[in-house]
Amino acid sequence: MIVIQELIEAFTEGSVIADTEQCTPYECDGLSAYREKPLAVVLPANVEEVRAALRICKQHKVPVITRGSGTGLAGGALPLKDGIVLGLSKMNQILDIDPLARTAILQPGVRNISVTQAVEPYGLYYAPDPSSQVACSIGGNVAENSGGVHCLKYGLTVHNVLSITVVNMDGEMLILDEKDDGVDLLALLNGSEGLLGVIVEVKVKLLPKPDTAQLVMAGFDSVTACADAVTHVLEEGIIPAGLEMMDHFSIKAAEEYAQVGYPLEAEALLLCEVDGSFDQVKVDTQRITDILKNSGATSITVSQNEAERIALWQGRKNAFPAVGRYSPDYYCMDGTIPRKRLAYVLEEIEKLSQKYSLKVANVFHAGDGNLHPLILYDANKPGELEETEKFGAEILKLCLEVGGTITGEHGVGVEKLDSMCHQFATPELEIFHAIKAVFDDSGLMNPGKAVPTLHRCAEVGQMHVHNNQLPFPELERF
Amino acid sequence: MSTPFTQQVSEQIKQAISEKRTLQVAGSRSKVPVEAEAELICMQENSGIVAYEPSELVVTVKSGTKLTDLKAALAEHNQMLGFEPPDYGDSTIGGTYACALTGPSRPFRGVLRDFVLGTKMVDGRGQELTFGGQMIKNVAGYDVSRMMAGSKGSMAVVTELSLRVIPLVDEVTYYKEMSEDEAIVLMNKMAGTTLPLSGCAYFEGRFYYRVFGEHPKQYDATPCDNSVWLTLNPFQPKLGHNQKLWRVDTEGPHPSIPNTIAVGMCGQRRWVVSDEPPAPYSTLWQSYFAARHNDTPAISRIKSGLKRVFDPHNVFKDL
Repeated sequence: MIVIQELIEAFTEGSVIADTEQCTPYECDGLSAYREKPLAVVLPANVEEVRAALRICKQHKVPVITRGSGTGLAGGALPLKDGIVLGLSKMNQILDIDPLARTAILQPGVRNISVTQAVEPYGLYYAPDPSSQVACSIGGNVAENSGGVHCLKYGLTVHNVLSITVVNMDGEMLILDEKDDGVDLLALLNGSEGLLGVIVEVKVKLLPKPDTAQLVMAGFDSVTACADAVTHVLEEGIIPAGLEMMDHFSIKAAEEYAQVGYPLEAEALLLCEVDGSFDQVKVDTQRITDILKNSGATSITVSQNEAERIALWQGRKNAFPAVGRYSPDYYCMDGTIPRKRLAYVLEEIEKLSQKYSLKVANVFHAGDGNLHPLILYDANKPGELEETEKFGAEILKLCLEVGGTITGEHGVGVEKLDSMCHQFATPELEIFHAIKAVFDDSGLMNPGKAVPTLHRCAEVGQMHVHNNQLPFPELERF
Repeated sequence: MSTPFTQQVSEQIKQAISEKRTLQVAGSRSKVPVEAEAELICMQENSGIVAYEPSELVVTVKSGTKLTDLKAALAEHNQMLGFEPPDYGDSTIGGTYACALTGPSRPFRGVLRDFVLGTKMVDGRGQELTFGGQMIKNVAGYDVSRMMAGSKGSMAVVTELSLRVIPLVDEVTYYKEMSEDEAIVLMNKMAGTTLPLSGCAYFEGRFYYRVFGEHPKQYDATPCDNSVWLTLNPFQPKLGHNQKLWRVDTEGPHPSIPNTIAVGMCGQRRWVVSDEPPAPYSTLWQSYFAARHNDTPAISRIKSGLKRVFDPHNVFKDL
């Protein structure tokens, strides 16, 4: 193909992979149920090469799927068979660290964890810590507006990015800065899933590393009691750095896996961590312990040193693989719900679990309402993946029903396109498509992801009633 | 969900489109001067708290609600707005959002849009739209709610806002006399420590810092009341005839700029008297705020494209 030939000519040897076999590592991201081989993979080494690749693709009307480390969980980096994958892994340099201003300038392929490692000598760190932080890239974090377990106190990616440089399909560079006047384009690009531009540089905010952190672990005899305890902590004006809940199945699986002393008899477990100065942490830990006792905790453990704190986290941090040992495959959902509806949502999920005959474990970022149900299934059993996806979609509907959202931190990608039809009505979806066209009139940047077409929503047959009108009255129904 | 007010706004917009008139959104008119002949969409009657769940850390409020009323409602539950908005006198939450105004706590707690979780609005077709929601984490769809902070009523009439709130804290202020250069370095050094800061400024020869919670005293500083933060937020100095005041946004440790009369936000905000823009990201501070209009051609094209997405008939006045 001409486009591949032109790319090969424009790039140094080895930077364009056109061989089908060699494209295999790029055929999926973290959502491995979906796979597709691209036309070619291009691995630019600098901004100029990104611009060149985009211009060539635009000229030949070839779609571009930008990829960071490929750890995304929603298929946002799934290739198209007639498109190229633009892999930014070679652009992995930390360009500048300014300890006094507490900022770092990064190429998009820099791994999340390496930012914190590089600034540690200055007593600083980069706060957003998605669970994939050892592998995921900062460019991907911005594209997905990634979260982590410390969001309640330290925010998502959007709260920690000061400026980005993006390149559009014409190879034009745009600098979007927090200091800009007027509409907030920087906020818009965060979480835009590669549909609006290729992020080639990111300036992030760095925070002072807390002097210390302490973890309070409490068991409860019901999910409701545990959720109420979280409410009491927040009502007392404490914003913990981490606030994680696990249900009985997760507790059991995590304890069998990590053996860290989780209370096996508990119906729900709360891990509540505070960080900051030594004095503040001491005061907050005591207050939290008192609140949890008064909220009916059946057991309380307070970490006495750093080793204990890390050990107690091991169960939660390994909850996914621990639950995964019960089944050949698991599917991780990512809805958000108001915390006061948690008990109801978990009951309903249990009913769905029985309806589909699929087991489910729940872990919950209790501070920010982000629920991660893990559905256990066996991909080798015919039809079970499809059933699992139906189950997952019903959970997301449930999240919407209680006033939540279909994705807290994983993004829409290809995975939740149908669920988007439930969350948004025609006018909002039309606005989304129009926004994309402003940035990418050719429609070549990651087409088909993140925002469903109106036709798709009509075909899904979702009856999202907006203003008492049926959705998509203009479209035929089959 | 449609309300009588949003229906009325929608009708007003449709009428204006058919008669090719432009409209200006007005709250308490505390920031933007209103021309005598301008036709207004008056937001003041659209006020009140729609939903407030203190333990979910979220408040949903109608955009014409006065900041003082909102702050009082939050304070009853020992909570507050994290972006410390300036009040120019009966300022509304909607006007503050439209101008994207954040106070002294910005380097420590973030800017206004960081606290925006969702919006309801009526666009330039008279169409009611909802973006975001009440959840702290939500990555479904483009983040229109945060994008529109700072759009100054030029794209849509935002009728309702859901905001993240934070616990109310007791704050104390200290000061120490020193040079501006010394203060700029010191405030940035302090911000790199775990001291629970919520403000750092330099004004009239004094370095001021504000802290909350458990903290040791720093650098033999003298305690004082918290009034300096109200002097700086909003900052409304008396100027000589023909003098121009610029609001400059910059890096915290940027060296002192000649003719600076106040340094706020840990050095990220400078107030400078000058005939010309003293630095990049300078805004002429006339009638409380004025647009900067120094975008690159590519950015201008995107901004006008986005304006057309929401307001294809150009019914909303550009400010």
